Amino acid sequence: MSKITIDPITRLEGHGKIEIFLNQDGSVDNVYFQVPELRGFEKFCEGRPVEELPTIVTKICGVCPGCHHMASGKAVDAVFGVEPTPTAKKIRELFYMAHFIHSHIAHFYALAAPDFVVGPTSNPSERNILGVIAKVGLEIGGEVIKQRRIAQEIQAMIGGHQTQVIMNIPGGVKKGITEEQRDDLVKKAEGFIHFSKFSIQLFKDVVLGNKDYVDIILNGPYSLKLHSMGLVDSNNKVNFYDGKVRVVDLEGKELYKYSPNEYTEFVEERVEPWSYLKFPYLKKIGWKGFVEGQDSGVYQATPLSRLNAADGMATPIAQQEYDAMFATLGGKPVHATLAMHWARLIELIYSAEHCLELSQDPDITGKDLRAPLTKIIGEGVGIVEAQRGTLTHHYWTDDKGMVKKVNLIVGTTNNNAAICMSLKKAAQGLIQKGIPATEGTLNMIEMAFRAYDPCFSCATHSLPGQMRMIVNFRDKDGNVLKTIKRG
Amino acid sequence: MKQIQQTEKSILIVGIGNDILTDDGIGPRLVNDLNKGRLPEGIIFRQAFLGGMELLDLIKDFDEVIFIDALKTGLNKPGTVHLFIPQDFEETLHLSNIHDIDFLTALELGKRTGMRLPFKIRIIAIEIIEDRVFSTDFSPQIRKCYPKILRKVQESIEMMLSEQQICSTSGILN
Repeated sequence: MSKITIDPITRLEGHGKIEIFLNQDGSVDNVYFQVPELRGFEKFCEGRPVEELPTIVTKICGVCPGCHHMASGKAVDAVFGVEPTPTAKKIRELFYMAHFIHSHIAHFYALAAPDFVVGPTSNPSERNILGVIAKVGLEIGGEVIKQRRIAQEIQAMIGGHQTQVIMNIPGGVKKGITEEQRDDLVKKAEGFIHFSKFSIQLFKDVVLGNKDYVDIILNGPYSLKLHSMGLVDSNNKVNFYDGKVRVVDLEGKELYKYSPNEYTEFVEERVEPWSYLKFPYLKKIGWKGFVEGQDSGVYQATPLSRLNAADGMATPIAQQEYDAMFATLGGKPVHATLAMHWARLIELIYSAEHCLELSQDPDITGKDLRAPLTKIIGEGVGIVEAQRGTLTHHYWTDDKGMVKKVNLIVGTTNNNAAICMSLKKAAQGLIQKGIPATEGTLNMIEMAFRAYDPCFSCATHSLPGQMRMIVNFRDKDGNVLKTIKRG
Repeated sequence: MKQIQQTEKSILIVGIGNDILTDDGIGPRLVNDLNKGRLPEGIIFRQAFLGGMELLDLIKDFDEVIFIDALKTGLNKPGTVHLFIPQDFEETLHLSNIHDIDFLTALELGKRTGMRLPFKIRIIAIEIIEDRVFSTDFSPQIRKCYPKILRKVQESIEMMLSEQQICSTSGILN
């Protein structure tokens, strides 16, 4: 048996490794996706006042610090048995829309668009964001930087810092929004809507206008039939900050809908000896292995899953785009992995529209920023949608609110099994018997991975030039036959 | 080492890292200590958590920038101080552009879109050994040699600011 190693995965924040094992005839036997372990977070939290955690958890991940801050803030609210005031909740949500906007813009233009705008097997030296702006124009490149920066500035203004966020306190937020800031937010939100509409049109023109791409999305080795998970509001519309977790099956039928504090009844985590990362699955179905289908316990929690799990979007333009996507792709639910990019852009529009709604809300400049604390429950769960999946924080404290135990199920962890399965399916479909894998082939395998926007990042800074890719071809005894280095 | 009293240029020193991941926080810690030291007034000190495109907005409009970051190769003694200039990475510029929005790609993106970026960029990287364990303390090895690291980094920055031509190099600390 031969082995191909892709390490680290390109355009992944953090570090990861894909191991592809080949049979004697060169076909793919199995694929393993591995990430390194970070140790000691629970111990690090133990004994600290629970209200410190929303600030500490922003340092778990430099890519989605705002998501951890929100999930943590909600878990801490639950520990104290308090609901934030209406104004505080809206300020949190406004911050969160800006967090989604900056992240989704970065993913589409920097990580997804190179494969489509430049081409999945194009010259690797051009298959990057510079290649994208070379195609779509420098003006668009400048706009990407500008809109992303504005979203970061909003987060810094509301959250105290764009990455090391400090806004959430039990029952509310530390500071409010002034009328002057509101006027500025409205203008910026209108800019987001304009840019998000442009972005989805670009996707339609470039991707949907290319028959080959549509064929890859719908008929390539990129489909995976699994259950879909996402947070929904009281009308079963997509919601990133609040609501209940809804799971639908392969036909779109609701399997479960539960409150955050019930998650342990519905989700369980499995340990595999070859992976530090756990594999969550639907507890009531049980673990049936890395298999697709109605009887599988494996689920996905991605932008596409969120749209599958909901009945629609809560804002008008996003709803139009939601209807258009499902109409184009053959109805709900959609199981085409690469359609996650489309779903992400629909979420970008929703975030921009909701950012405007919240900015115009009379409550947003309210002065009632914090509900009084009267008790300590001693246990709390907070669930939000991170950009890359449902994010759960679960805390236990003593009667003084000091942390005793912490459990997190982060967005990407939900998709761990699905990512492994998507990679295997792509590798089996793309690596042909007796034909050496080319750089383009490896990139197309990675496209199955990148669609999830996975993040295993806890120390996300990287030295310039450090990112690299190494592919080792090994014989059955593990001897390296050939090495390809990129970067 | 001659002490530099003041500077006319806008100079930024950025420490990058995660201060709750053991040695990973050495960049921010060094910047914090350098800010209390003998470097010229007027230098802006900042801490950052992220690299890549995130840094563009941080460094734009400065004349010079010095990054201080951790490095983990396992090839050098813990505490080894490396000095780099971006040109060291030109050789791999196009390759690294393939895969990620790494710092050099971000710089190129900034240039192409008309941002005013620093005309001098230097990188100080410190060899560390532990960045996978949550802790606000350094590993024993880094803790022991931290005063030497701080001194070496301060001297390196003074050398950089005195307009000497800097080539990539590394200094092994004993």
